[in-house]
Amino acid sequence: MLEIKHLSAGYEGEQTLHDINLTMQPGEILCIVGESGSGKSSLIRAITGYKGLQVTEGSICFGGQELMRGKRACANGVMGREIGLIPQNPEGSFNPIRTFEKQFREMFASHGMSMEEAQIEGAFETVGLQDYKRILKSRPYEMSGGMNQRIAIAAAMLLSPKLLICDEATSALDVTTAQLVMDELLQMRRDLGTGILMVTHNLGIAKHMADRIAIMYQGELVEIGPCQDVIDHPQHAYTKQLLESAPRMSA
Amino acid sequence: MTKRKQLLIRIIICATVAGLIVLATMFASFLAPNDPYATSAAAIRQTPSAQYPFGTDNLGRCIFSRVLYGGRTTIGATFLLVAISFVVGTLIGMLCGYFGGIADRLLMRIADVALAFPQMVIAIAVAGILGGGIFGAMLALGITMWISFARLARSHTYSMKNQSYISAAILAGKSNWYIITRHIFPNLLAPLLTNGLTQIGVTMVGISGLSFLGIGVTPPTAEWGAMINEARAYIQLSPWAVFFPGLAIAVTIIVFNELGDLVMDYREM
Amino acid sequence: MKRTVKRVLELIVILMILSFFTFLLMYLAPGDPAEKRLVSQGVVVTKEVLDAERERLGLMKPFFIRYGEWLFGVCRGDFGVSFKDDMPVGPKLLAGLANTLQLAGASMLLSLLISIPLSIVAAFRKNSIADHIIKLFAFLGNSLPNFLISVILMYFFCIHTKLFPIIATGSLQGLLLPALSLSIPISGRFLRQMRQEFLMQISQDYITGMCNRGVKRRYIVGNVLYNSTAHVLNIVALQVGSLMTGSVVIETIFRWPGIGKLVMDSITARDYPVIMGFVLVMGTVYVVINQLVDVCMGCLDPRIRMESEGHHDKA
Repeated sequence: MLEIKHLSAGYEGEQTLHDINLTMQPGEILCIVGESGSGKSSLIRAITGYKGLQVTEGSICFGGQELMRGKRACANGVMGREIGLIPQNPEGSFNPIRTFEKQFREMFASHGMSMEEAQIEGAFETVGLQDYKRILKSRPYEMSGGMNQRIAIAAAMLLSPKLLICDEATSALDVTTAQLVMDELLQMRRDLGTGILMVTHNLGIAKHMADRIAIMYQGELVEIGPCQDVIDHPQHAYTKQLLESAPRMSA
Repeated sequence: MTKRKQLLIRIIICATVAGLIVLATMFASFLAPNDPYATSAAAIRQTPSAQYPFGTDNLGRCIFSRVLYGGRTTIGATFLLVAISFVVGTLIGMLCGYFGGIADRLLMRIADVALAFPQMVIAIAVAGILGGGIFGAMLALGITMWISFARLARSHTYSMKNQSYISAAILAGKSNWYIITRHIFPNLLAPLLTNGLTQIGVTMVGISGLSFLGIGVTPPTAEWGAMINEARAYIQLSPWAVFFPGLAIAVTIIVFNELGDLVMDYREM
Repeated sequence: MKRTVKRVLELIVILMILSFFTFLLMYLAPGDPAEKRLVSQGVVVTKEVLDAERERLGLMKPFFIRYGEWLFGVCRGDFGVSFKDDMPVGPKLLAGLANTLQLAGASMLLSLLISIPLSIVAAFRKNSIADHIIKLFAFLGNSLPNFLISVILMYFFCIHTKLFPIIATGSLQGLLLPALSLSIPISGRFLRQMRQEFLMQISQDYITGMCNRGVKRRYIVGNVLYNSTAHVLNIVALQVGSLMTGSVVIETIFRWPGIGKLVMDSITARDYPVIMGFVLVMGTVYVVINQLVDVCMGCLDPRIRMESEGHHDKA
């Protein structure tokens, strides 16, 4: 489904990704683990077509379609229904001075979908939000950052994309809500065959969710393999170090 | 780093062109091939030639020479006006910001009120009533021009005054005069000069605009706006009489505006 | 409510200062109004005629009484009589203002029609060829004085190709060229500032968020426009002054019978009551527009509204 070949990219003057090769199957859950500055976010930005990031080499294919060379993924209609993103700081992702209702309507209209309140209610419940009617009538600037985050997560899920990318999305949530979101993600995979690409520095979450784990270090993909293999038999020195420094799981 | 260098190179090029324009008009008396005020019935509305590089106007005057001399009027008046506004505005703003008190509040209130009015509308009325003459036009524009300098100088002085090194200087028993001339003024100079640079284009448009309307310079004084106004009456007969002063004013304003923009960008980097 | 009262009071104070300044200007104007009046009417000036005229014009009274009488008249719409033809100034100004508003309104409309779409294109395609061309146009429009632009336009469209009449009469065809001349420099400034504003909006997180949700371009443009309404209004208000100045120049060139042409004719004729009326009318229009825009800005962006209400509560 997702195929990344020899990808190198970076910001002005600074290379942050070196020769990344990665494939994902439909319905797979892949966790990318690495410390801050390891290039996890750059990789996601390369896939979603972030403007500031310049791809210098390689290709990214999604469902046989190439998403590349400066052309934003959102410009060729991939973002939303095909690839969904829950960004690292989702609280600012709605226009602060327009009502959620209008913005949801535009979002659905953009994908030729009709807005169904029952669906919205359900999605809001999975992120722990009650009273969806009141929320739809209000504007983001009137709400707390936490509320905005949850609504953004619900919005990404509502579009039920084929591949959902989560960039540390649950790190800002409280534990119970995070658990709800995790469960919902697993549910989506089961019901709809949604593939999930998760970026995290939390090995515990990775172990809990992932089919495969990829380890990133200094802009390179140093190790990738089935979850249990990577944890039990780490190959790369950095992975060993990472596993040792992580608090022991109750195995 | 490289961007900064590129910008610097562009500033130098722009400043050189601006300098050349200023020099050309300053030395108009050496460069002009003909007397700009000499009329000649034999050479009315001639097309550009070796003797008259930009042709002649309705009275047979050499347009090239008039453009050079006209530049001296336009640019000279602009520089003089910006310089006077700079000195007056800076002085007032600095003293207000430094000493504060009633005078400060009063002057800044005056500045607020003056900015609440359409400045060029007032300038047209004032210049019109004063009845022509370049000094009338300058006075009309100068009524409001000092304000931008005064505001800038005041706000910078005010924020500087509350910084520790000024307090230290006061505690060390330095005189107010010493602090203002040694600490405050040198730090004000860069933003104020930038502001002065950006005012040049606006002022030039103002002065030539008033002259164009016939309430700036008195004829037959050569001035770009006035020349365009005189020549537009017979533009179908000799378009060059409008074209060359127009080109001169366009190029000059563009160069000074660009220089102002570039310096602003450079300072913001 | 309190804020409204405060604003109205502020407005009144500013208008009082304007009227005082206008009166002072005429008072200080070189020469004797009575003499000027007689001269402009072509009467032979003798001592007796002059004194009689002074008495008749009320010039012998003290300054403040004259100011008071004049202000009282102005408040009732009586701007005095013209020196030139003894006609009341009020109707003259009104007729001129109506024509000027036509021209100014058309120019403003034209400027917005030019600059909003172009600045959207420039901002959404930053650093593209289109953006560079638009930036160049903005720079030129911003730099070139409006009298030069109108003379050039006149040469090409009226004299060279004879597409338009030289003297703008009341017709729509006659309005187009003056309006265009007036709107080019203003569009230049609009383009610059609006492009900046739209770029600022585009760099906001919510745009990235919308892109990531795959929201269509036209909705994104709509959101950008919606969020920048208040600032665009402010940008427009900043150009009201240059619209007024510009109309004086353009009306003189195209002989459009507006208030600007009226004042230039009056300056030539030394017709002081008309000049006073002009300053007062233009000043009032300007001040009122600016105050109105200030109020509207607050209403348009709920965040600004909240902030200012917050301030008010503290005050």
